Amino acid sequence: MTDLDDAPALVSLTLSFRPLANQIGPLRTLLSDLCKPHVADADGLSRLLLAAHELLENIVKYSVGEVAEFHLRLEAKATGLLVRLRTKNRAAPERMADARWRLDALAAAHDPIAHYDDLIRESAGRRDVSGLGLARIPAESEMELRYATEHDWLILTAEGNASERVHA
Amino acid sequence: MSALQLTTVGGENFQVTPTLVEFNLKLVFSGSGDMNATGLVNEYLKLVHEEALRIGLAQVSCDFKLLTFMNSSCFKSFVVWIDTVKNSETRYQITFLTNPALPWQRRSLEALRRLAMNLVTIETIA
Repeated sequence: MTDLDDAPALVSLTLSFRPLANQIGPLRTLLSDLCKPHVADADGLSRLLLAAHELLENIVKYSVGEVAEFHLRLEAKATGLLVRLRTKNRAAPERMADARWRLDALAAAHDPIAHYDDLIRESAGRRDVSGLGLARIPAESEMELRYATEHDWLILTAEGNASERVHA
Repeated sequence: MSALQLTTVGGENFQVTPTLVEFNLKLVFSGSGDMNATGLVNEYLKLVHEEALRIGLAQVSCDFKLLTFMNSSCFKSFVVWIDTVKNSETRYQITFLTNPALPWQRRSLEALRRLAMNLVTIETIA
């Protein structure tokens, strides 16, 4: 069996938009409709949608400026389906610093579930912001979460195996 | 026993319906627990705890059969609630009833169970 690096994406979606809270539900439904024909098991689709939802909420809550970007790519690999989700948004300096701190801690953690459990325990006594959304992605979606910055733009990429592919 | 003072809250997209049977309170969640539901869940769970202490509940069951999704902010409200019960002098058991057709539930709720293993149980609805 050979890897299918040159194969076209099964699903590729790129949005450039002003993110609003009431768009997230319909967007999740759209992503589900687009990916469901290719993803063999409900758990794989559920993990993909959870990661997409948290990333979309993240840009709704924290982006500044009029435009943010969201990208989904689902492609067939020899090992199954690879999903890549990417968001790009401008962030205020304090939000950028907080995101970097959280994402660096996440990257340094050896066990994403243990790290998530630690964050949950720490957040239990706080009544302010959740602070759990990004850490939830590797812990529950089993995706790797990376970030990059370009000036005041924050770029988040979640990537992982969705599941086995549906074969016609 | 006092009458239940909690009422159904929410609307078309998200709803919580309480039912009291003896000393067990059942909360049926339906819809999507997203950004629009966060404030409601947060405030409602505070009322649930107050009501639990007032009535002397033995157990609160959260039925998630019709809950299609829960975001991290709603999840955080459950973290705070469980931590409050955990640190309360009067405790009650918390049971989550999950839908096997919605796999995110088991994954998310396992994290809540790990937060308070002697307090939280997870059951699958047949």
